[in-house]
Amino acid sequence: MMKYLIIGNSAAGINAADAIRMNDNKGNIKIISREKFRAYGRPLISYYLSGKVSPENMYYRSENYFKSKNIEVLLNVEAENIDLKNKEVATIGGGKIAYDKLLIATGSGPFIPHIKGLDMCKQENVFTFLTYEDAIKLKKKITKKSKVIVAGAGFIGLKAAEGLFGQVGSITVVDLADRVMASILDKQSADIVQTHMEQNNINFKLKTSVCEIYGKNNVSTVALSNNEILDCDILVIAVGVRPNIDIANTINLKTKDGIIVNEYMQTSKRDVYAAGDCVESLDLFSGDSKVFALWSSASNQGEVAGFNMASVEMKAPMVFAVNAISFFGLQLISAGVVNASTSNNIVLDLVKSELCRLNILNDNLVGFVLINCEQRAGIYTALISDRVKLSELDYDITSRDVGFSVYSKDERTKKYWEPCKR
Amino acid sequence: MKKVYAFETKCLGCGLCEVYCRTAHSKFKDVVKAHNRDNVISAIVIENIFRQSKPISYFVLQCRHCLSPRCVKACISGAMHKDEQGIVHNDKKRCVGCLSCVSVCPFGAIKKSRDCKTISKCDLCVGYGEPLCVKNCPNDAIKLLDENEVEVALK
Repeated sequence: MMKYLIIGNSAAGINAADAIRMNDNKGNIKIISREKFRAYGRPLISYYLSGKVSPENMYYRSENYFKSKNIEVLLNVEAENIDLKNKEVATIGGGKIAYDKLLIATGSGPFIPHIKGLDMCKQENVFTFLTYEDAIKLKKKITKKSKVIVAGAGFIGLKAAEGLFGQVGSITVVDLADRVMASILDKQSADIVQTHMEQNNINFKLKTSVCEIYGKNNVSTVALSNNEILDCDILVIAVGVRPNIDIANTINLKTKDGIIVNEYMQTSKRDVYAAGDCVESLDLFSGDSKVFALWSSASNQGEVAGFNMASVEMKAPMVFAVNAISFFGLQLISAGVVNASTSNNIVLDLVKSELCRLNILNDNLVGFVLINCEQRAGIYTALISDRVKLSELDYDITSRDVGFSVYSKDERTKKYWEPCKR
Repeated sequence: MKKVYAFETKCLGCGLCEVYCRTAHSKFKDVVKAHNRDNVISAIVIENIFRQSKPISYFVLQCRHCLSPRCVKACISGAMHKDEQGIVHNDKKRCVGCLSCVSVCPFGAIKKSRDCKTISKCDLCVGYGEPLCVKNCPNDAIKLLDENEVEVALK
């Protein structure tokens, strides 16, 4: 009987366990997690913070799910090192767990920039915002009067800001970029998002950064690089994530920023696989290897790893970013390339805060941003991932709202009638 | 597994399927009340086929219940799931309306709800015996078929 061990209990780990069980109904599957909570929807932490999602709805799978699939989950167990020769993982506290196939799905952790005066261990009002525990601690600490500074106007920082809305005195988001979510939004789209958030009392300080923090055990003020001094009762650091590769380094896995894997999610060591935020993936457009911290990509890679661990060959597709987010009712979907010098087709209605930007390069759709007009977004996403030649479609996608009828009759029939393996 | 299939040549584009879909998913199980008092939107898209910018024919599109559904992978809350029979469901209690599923559905077959708090998708009318869109289509343009019946239909 095969022994499968998965380090990490989130999107990649759980989808891997599901895929293994689908292909091997007898094997022993164990998931270990250093967190104390059972698997939760990680992006839901901002919904927990705002109170929109109650604790019982945080969980990614029902309580009896793992039991029903005969998957053993060990919480509060952290891998310390891996013995490749004897195929064992040593855990902190002295435990040992044997494996035949191992998956490293350790995710990513917060990137902590070097800021003068910052001491995460001592300062009790400085938070990161990646885990359920982070959210619980932050929620406990805030008061109706708190002056909150969020360092970082990316996805995580803005969701933290939205989650805090109405529960604190003031919220100021600081970012070095000239716009919010600079990695997934062009300036015009970012301005719509920023304006909408400002209307909901979120303040922004852009093109500047937190450069010094004052207060020994509690931060009281922060200094920005533009010489402004801001009062601060709560500081949230959300400037990005870094792959958790400590465990990979104990066995000298090939890594760059993240763990290097092939298209079967195999690492450089035999019977050791890796998936999710901790790995490097191939960028669909450039072919470059880089880290994508995306929930859906982690789920996909977990599934691919699981199939291959259970000896059913499956290849992982190349990756491009697709993000769906909402802020105070403003719905936003961004995918692929948004900033490059491609030909842009933009339909804009500023009154309704609607925007549809299609980025076209040669004969391909390479990216899009949709704000408040997202109904058929997945069709655009498929046009990108399948590298569909736009000239072969039934109509010009810039001429009207896209539908499934955009495909020619033959193509449509094929996609619709053939058993869908997507 | 049985799925709903649409026949382009037979579709009139009348929209009756949407009326019954809304009824099936309304708390009032009554056409008129569902239409007048409830805010549900249908889980069906009526697609236009264009010639020279004019719609010349129609077909309906609903969730294809993919083998490896991208929507389930993208779902951040675990609300979207595939059951033992292969039907993809969305658990409204856990859905946060983030539209991650909408952003990846290659058919564009998931719609956001009117209040933007959740989404609407085909669940094959589990509990009704037969999907109401199939039952009420006046021209047999929507059928519920298993794999073998699909083979026959394609010949």
